[in-house]
Amino acid sequence: MTLQSKVGVFAGAALLRLILFAAFPSLPDLLTGRVEISTPVTSFKRLQEGLFLYNHNVWPYDGGVFHQAPLLLPLFSLLPDVKTWPIFTAVLYILVDLLSAYALLIIADSGEAGQSKLYTSPRRAKRSSGLLVAAAFLFNPYTLATCIGRSTSVFTNCAILFAIAKALSGSPFNAMVAISFASYLSMYPILLLPPLVLLAYDRQSEKRRIGSVIQFSVKTVLIASACISVLLAMSFALTGNSWDFLARTYGIQLTLSDLTPNVGLWWYFFIEIFDSFRAFFLAVFWLHLVIYVGGLSIRLRTQPLAVLTILLGIFAVFKPYPSIADTSLFLAMLALYRHLYPIMRYTYVASATMLYATFLGPAFYHLWIYAGSGNANFFYAITLVWSLAQSLFVSDLTFAVLRDEWEVERPEMVGKEIRQI
Amino acid sequence: MPRLLSTALSLRRDPRLLRIPPYVSAFCIAIGVVWLLLLPLDDYSRRTYVSENALLPGQVHTYFGGSEQHIFRAFRHEVDLLADKNNYEVNDKLESILTGFGVKVGRQNYTYHSAGQIYTGENVYGILQAPRGDATEAIVLVAAWKSIDEQLNRNGIALVLTLARYFKRWSLWSKDIILLLPPDSTTGTQAWVDAYHDAHDFKHIAPLPLKSGALQGAIAIDYPHEQRYHELHIIYDGTNGQLPNLDLINSIVNIAGGQMGIETTVQQMTGHTDSYQDRLQTMLRGMLYQGLGYPTGPHSSFIPYHVDAITLQPTGEGWHDEMAMGRVVEGSFRSLNNLLEHLHQSFFFYLLMQKNRFVSIGTYLPSAMLLAANFTIMAIFLWVKSGQPTAKDVGTGKQQSDGLERKGDAAPSSWSPLTVERNLLSPLTFVAICHSISAIPLFLFNHLGINTLPLAFLIFSVTSTVLPAIFSFAAASLQKPTPQYFQLTKSFSLLILGVSLATLSTLNFSLAFLVGLLASPLTFIRPTDSAATRWFFAALLILTSPPIVILSTAWTSGVTLTEVLKAASLGWNVWGMYTPIIIWCMWWPAWLIGMTNTLSPISNI
Repeated sequence: MTLQSKVGVFAGAALLRLILFAAFPSLPDLLTGRVEISTPVTSFKRLQEGLFLYNHNVWPYDGGVFHQAPLLLPLFSLLPDVKTWPIFTAVLYILVDLLSAYALLIIADSGEAGQSKLYTSPRRAKRSSGLLVAAAFLFNPYTLATCIGRSTSVFTNCAILFAIAKALSGSPFNAMVAISFASYLSMYPILLLPPLVLLAYDRQSEKRRIGSVIQFSVKTVLIASACISVLLAMSFALTGNSWDFLARTYGIQLTLSDLTPNVGLWWYFFIEIFDSFRAFFLAVFWLHLVIYVGGLSIRLRTQPLAVLTILLGIFAVFKPYPSIADTSLFLAMLALYRHLYPIMRYTYVASATMLYATFLGPAFYHLWIYAGSGNANFFYAITLVWSLAQSLFVSDLTFAVLRDEWEVERPEMVGKEIRQI
Repeated sequence: MPRLLSTALSLRRDPRLLRIPPYVSAFCIAIGVVWLLLLPLDDYSRRTYVSENALLPGQVHTYFGGSEQHIFRAFRHEVDLLADKNNYEVNDKLESILTGFGVKVGRQNYTYHSAGQIYTGENVYGILQAPRGDATEAIVLVAAWKSIDEQLNRNGIALVLTLARYFKRWSLWSKDIILLLPPDSTTGTQAWVDAYHDAHDFKHIAPLPLKSGALQGAIAIDYPHEQRYHELHIIYDGTNGQLPNLDLINSIVNIAGGQMGIETTVQQMTGHTDSYQDRLQTMLRGMLYQGLGYPTGPHSSFIPYHVDAITLQPTGEGWHDEMAMGRVVEGSFRSLNNLLEHLHQSFFFYLLMQKNRFVSIGTYLPSAMLLAANFTIMAIFLWVKSGQPTAKDVGTGKQQSDGLERKGDAAPSSWSPLTVERNLLSPLTFVAICHSISAIPLFLFNHLGINTLPLAFLIFSVTSTVLPAIFSFAAASLQKPTPQYFQLTKSFSLLILGVSLATLSTLNFSLAFLVGLLASPLTFIRPTDSAATRWFFAALLILTSPPIVILSTAWTSGVTLTEVLKAASLGWNVWGMYTPIIIWCMWWPAWLIGMTNTLSPISNI
């Protein structure tokens, strides 16, 4: 893998995005309006609304449309108006995508997927090159659609990938800063903190090594909370010295008060539910999301990167406002596990299911919203299929990771089929 | 349960299992076709019924008649005087007539460009404001100056004018009535409906000066018929195979048949005897129109905007006169006037096989889904097969293990979970290339002028037949193609075809069924070393290739190729008809890949 081919892939990806932005001027707005890409907490259209209010000295959360982190507002008000100069916004989103791909390149080249500090996979020889992983991310249609649709989840994805890349290259401080940014923007990445701390602990540089896990975790958690506090304090100052923005950003995610359809499983459930049970089921859904973190971190202690990948897959299915941006992040991480593909069992079925859902989703949404001949059940059925495909990928990866471990423990079982007894 | 599971798992390893899928695929196709043929039977189709209670069809007494007939004759005389005038002079006169009743009138200019031709005209329309309404809802009465067959819609225009004058005197309307008089049955209504919903192309189509509320329904009158008529032909197909709510058709059948004693018919099936053949023929005609996605009348443009609309066309020789027709329209408008909400109760997806018999989507969809499933089954099968070691790889090992199995030794030990490494890059590239070049025919046929179209089509047909040979030659010279390469290209291509057809069948069942049926040979073709089989496959594929199918359809239906291409271009440029995308970007690439695989030389399989 030469520098030339790296530059080629990155330039090609940037060029493809630029062409899509320039040749089809109505495409970005079309994609921004799609519920599969833009959720209430990541929509670019809603960001424009918040931005307009912010630039006119109105509290941006007035009107109840904008639910995103306040610090995005000064960033976007620096850019020229998107209606007259769309190219600047486009360039920003393209750069963020390229940065994410660069972080993926570092993650892939570290070889952590096949060989961590505590575990060495017998199959690690067959690993995918970093360039291939980056290219798979950059040319993934879901990533492209997210970038053209200008969903703000690209910033979160980029921060998550950088947190992982920095943890791998032995700089826990930068990793914590990055994950604080991700958590500040979208809240759910805070759940990635335990495996990330473990990953950073395993990959500390020898010079500044902290021996005790507890000491290391306390230190890193303190860094992360300090960083988040700073970000929140800045937001506090930015939104007219009030803490109300917390309820309008993270509160929306916690209570799911905006029931705009998306590809996730929550919206339909909470439309149907009786109000008296709402609080209970919100708690159950959130508990369900949180519960994987501890279990996976303990069970797969030897492979923290695998924990992070599986968690990202689980979040892409079960978080309150998922979109295809989360799926593209999970698929990018999945590409790191090239060596496990031979023992994954349902890749084709899961990919075919995903393909079916990708085609049928917009068709059923059209039948529901535009043609009027379908109803909400059509679209929800497809989001179930979509979630099924992703959970197939997640469970298949988990199976493959565990089987790989098991074959190290029981070398006599290599190549044999396992059976439940 | 675990025992059952392990039995199932051991079955999975059975080599016999891998021979089944092609038969399953063939079985799916056969069942899909037989399923469709069963639909006209009494056990599978249902009688229609009006499910929206507010419609109350035929429950009101209609008063149109008597002296209105004199007024009708007078208006017909006026129309006759305008017969040779141009669009603007006609509209001047119509405007003065409509304003004479106290109806507000608006006019709209539009221009469409398609296949190098210009379609231009001016719509005139009037809004009769509801005495009991608040202009939030409206129903539309359409009569195009030129009928569907390009004749002067002499009685239709006169009838709409008479009805307008008559409706204006009633105080019971709770919805506005819009009287739309476009210059032709094809482009005019589309321009008007687009502009009504502010979805028009601002450069070529003028906005509407006057608007009313949300459109609840539309009835078009296509009445160039001169004699007294026998029955009413109800045309209901919308653009892209969308249909109006079945309740609208039911109400009209009910009003015409029950109250006026006028026979009704669908899909030009005069003299329907309710036999199996007649029902099947009606259904197949309906499917053909739906599959083409081409608008069938002035009502078609309304349906994509979720406005239920139909065209009424008197046909045959009988004893009913214009007044009876007027009373049918009056009765229908009274029913629509009763609506409390948009028509939503009844079916939007149905196949009619008689004016009062239909099958709903739940009954007919499986046939198209089975056709789509056959491709997916084959795709999965080929994927599994491509991952299996070829006979050569395991030749020696297999003999030994066979010996072991016969002794009744543990079977699982002989099983290897490892699959052969699949080389995905070149099959994926080839499939991607075939799908991306499909943009060329799509662009060409929708942008070329009428003079070059037939020539371009012939050149394209020849190229499309020769291209697979070039591709297979190029692939063979670049690298030696392995059986796995063919299995993977076919697998991906069939997977895409299956997915698109399944999606399409929810939007336009008939198109998905027809394309699925025509593409079904693609499931069974494979590279072979027998020359006879190869030429048989090649001949079969050429016969079912998209250009040949289009040519032969045009030839059998007696339409010239130029007209077909012109209509397709018009459909794309004016109505946003997506049939060309399905043919060129979904079916043609799949055919191209199948044909390339057939022609490729193969050494071992």
